[in-house]
Amino acid sequence: MEPLLLALRDPEALLGLKLPQWEVLVNQARRANLLSRVAAGFDRDGLLREVPVAPRAHLLAARALAQAQADAVRREIAAIDRSLAATGAPVVLLKGAAYLLAGLPAARGRLFTDIDILVPRAALAEVEAALMLAGWAGMKTTPYDQRYYRRWMHELPPLKHIARQTVLDVHHAILPLTARLKPDSAKLLAASRTLPGEPRLRVLAPVDMVLHSATHLFCNEDVGNSLRDLVDLDSLLCCFGNKKGFWPALSARAAELDLTRPFYYALRYVQPILNTPVPAQVLRDAEIGRPPSALRGLMDAIFFRTLQPDRAAATDGLASLARGSLYVRAHWLRMPPLLLALHLTSKALRREQ
Amino acid sequence: MIVSELSPEELASRLASPGLRLRTGPVVTRIQSRLTSVVQGVALHYAHYAVEGEGSFADFRVRVASPHSLRRWLKPQVYFHFDGASPFLPLPANQAFAMLEWGLNWCVSNHCHQYLIIHAAAVERSGLALLLPGPPGSGKSTLCAGLASRGWRLLCDELTLLDLATGSVVPLPRPISLKNESIDVIRRFAPEARLNPPVHDTVKGSVAHMKAPEQSVIRGAEPARPRWVVLPRFERGATVSLEQQSRARTFMRLAENAFNYDVHGRRGFELLANLIATSDCFECRFSLLEDAVEALDGLARRT
Amino acid sequence: MSSLSALRWRTTPIDAIAWREWDGEYVVRSERSGNTHLLGPLAGRVLQVLLDASSALNSDDIAAELSDELAATDAAERKAAIEAALSEFKRLGLAEPVQE
Repeated sequence: MEPLLLALRDPEALLGLKLPQWEVLVNQARRANLLSRVAAGFDRDGLLREVPVAPRAHLLAARALAQAQADAVRREIAAIDRSLAATGAPVVLLKGAAYLLAGLPAARGRLFTDIDILVPRAALAEVEAALMLAGWAGMKTTPYDQRYYRRWMHELPPLKHIARQTVLDVHHAILPLTARLKPDSAKLLAASRTLPGEPRLRVLAPVDMVLHSATHLFCNEDVGNSLRDLVDLDSLLCCFGNKKGFWPALSARAAELDLTRPFYYALRYVQPILNTPVPAQVLRDAEIGRPPSALRGLMDAIFFRTLQPDRAAATDGLASLARGSLYVRAHWLRMPPLLLALHLTSKALRREQ
Repeated sequence: MIVSELSPEELASRLASPGLRLRTGPVVTRIQSRLTSVVQGVALHYAHYAVEGEGSFADFRVRVASPHSLRRWLKPQVYFHFDGASPFLPLPANQAFAMLEWGLNWCVSNHCHQYLIIHAAAVERSGLALLLPGPPGSGKSTLCAGLASRGWRLLCDELTLLDLATGSVVPLPRPISLKNESIDVIRRFAPEARLNPPVHDTVKGSVAHMKAPEQSVIRGAEPARPRWVVLPRFERGATVSLEQQSRARTFMRLAENAFNYDVHGRRGFELLANLIATSDCFECRFSLLEDAVEALDGLARRT
Repeated sequence: MSSLSALRWRTTPIDAIAWREWDGEYVVRSERSGNTHLLGPLAGRVLQVLLDASSALNSDDIAAELSDELAATDAAERKAAIEAALSEFKRLGLAEPVQE
């Protein structure tokens, strides 16, 4: 088994590894944006000091980075909250930001990119106005882009804060309007939960968090972070799977929200790859979302490939890890920008991402 | 084993495949390249550096290569690959060694968050470190090369690594990059120094690298305690001066010039504050390298 | 008079702001914003007074605390300078007025 998958499933099993294997692990984990997650796994099991000193330095470095990002996310969420307080609209945090504020294990060692929030479609105009007032500006500025986003996508064009340079995605649905699947946002909002100590911010109900994660993974064109997204899913399922009534509720909700197809895929891949415990009955229930065999064969080929840590130096388009890479999104950490990039590597060298 | 103990054929062969595991300070990089200029550059600049065996742990895996396409004949270019991806646009093939150097800097500055990393040169005398934070054009590298040729031990040219626990400078001795007029200045100032032939027409003008003095490599595991922070300021025609600077402003300058200050949050703040509290801070304005080196020698003697 | 003149912190005062002073100049890091700032002597002292206080203070209170140090300046100028510093703190997220 690839070291990265082993590290995600059972960190302790890695302790006998030789240095060259640690090297492969660090390499794979870094490429999959999962190094800090691997570090968190060792940390959680009290095993960091058992890791040989050279690879351990990388785990510690990744852990420091993830911690700094988590702090930055909290600050950003506080700023978003303050900016939207006057609108009275419910603001549901999605994905990483939600896991972080809800204190879920899925947040541990996670690297963040943008912040995603869900608001009712009816409140969209007011929310956008409040955000603009507070310093966010649209990033996609051509009329074509604006129209495209507002009409066809499930979100406003991405917003960037002028001073902080952080990016915010405001959704009113979890899938584009043009998608075949049409999960009902009103239901998601209605089932959303408040957070302790937070008067306004909300997160999705556990079953909805799982389904959103599954949908994001299997309906999203950005497959660069697929293994990372699968790790999120595994973490959520492990965390909620122990709660009474969760599994039947999950199956029922998948059907209710018309998300049986992504739900089927989610379970089909998370179990063999990450060894997530899924009750047999749930797997049977999920069969309702099974695609035609030919399509399934194709998806298997894509996803089992995409989701495998990539050893080889040559990468093809699907498994290319330049996308979504944390190296490019420096805005979270306010790194001294082009000044240093310029000096070290010349602006001309940097790939446009 | 050190690089110079490999025959030219062995070196070229190892660089081609499976890669040369080169140790620079605390970092081991597996370098792969089939390009002659890279092989020669490594043979020259890294002659005294340790080579690790196949059973070792490499922190980074990099490759400098031409593309697999017709392009390689029409307009020779090179790519820098890191962990299998190429984060940078290609450069003309004659800049291959420089690209390796820039790429190695990028690897460390983007990943080695076990340190607080400052964009500064650093040299050492009597266990004490002199930091030279400086933007391009400030004369930082020229001054660093000058000091390293006059009895100061080179700690680093671009990336000053600070140990989070102790605040000491952890050496990362690497070739010193020189630009444009500095190349000739150093040739005259230190005729014994080894420089590779300059590459012209890079984005920064002409670039050459000066080989790190052997002692700096041999003593690459000896940290140093920060004692002086000197902001270099090259100004044609200026009389040399060493002016004391406000500690608080120097603190801000260090924080601005740190790659990962924000990664370390409060801890980074405290680390830099302790550094500043125990260091004397200056600005060194100079036109002639000899004068600047003499001024800084004087500073070290007085302390 | 000015609503700027009384202040409180949203987070724990001691832990939320780290600062050091050398030769009258201050460097300050706010945990809340993540930003680091350079403050001149007056602004630094005003911040210190606020950090040391057990309750919210207005500009007269602060002026009183600094009366010895600022004895050479006239009262109106002193108050204006303090309020300018407080205004800047608000912009930087280092301090804010209490809602009365």
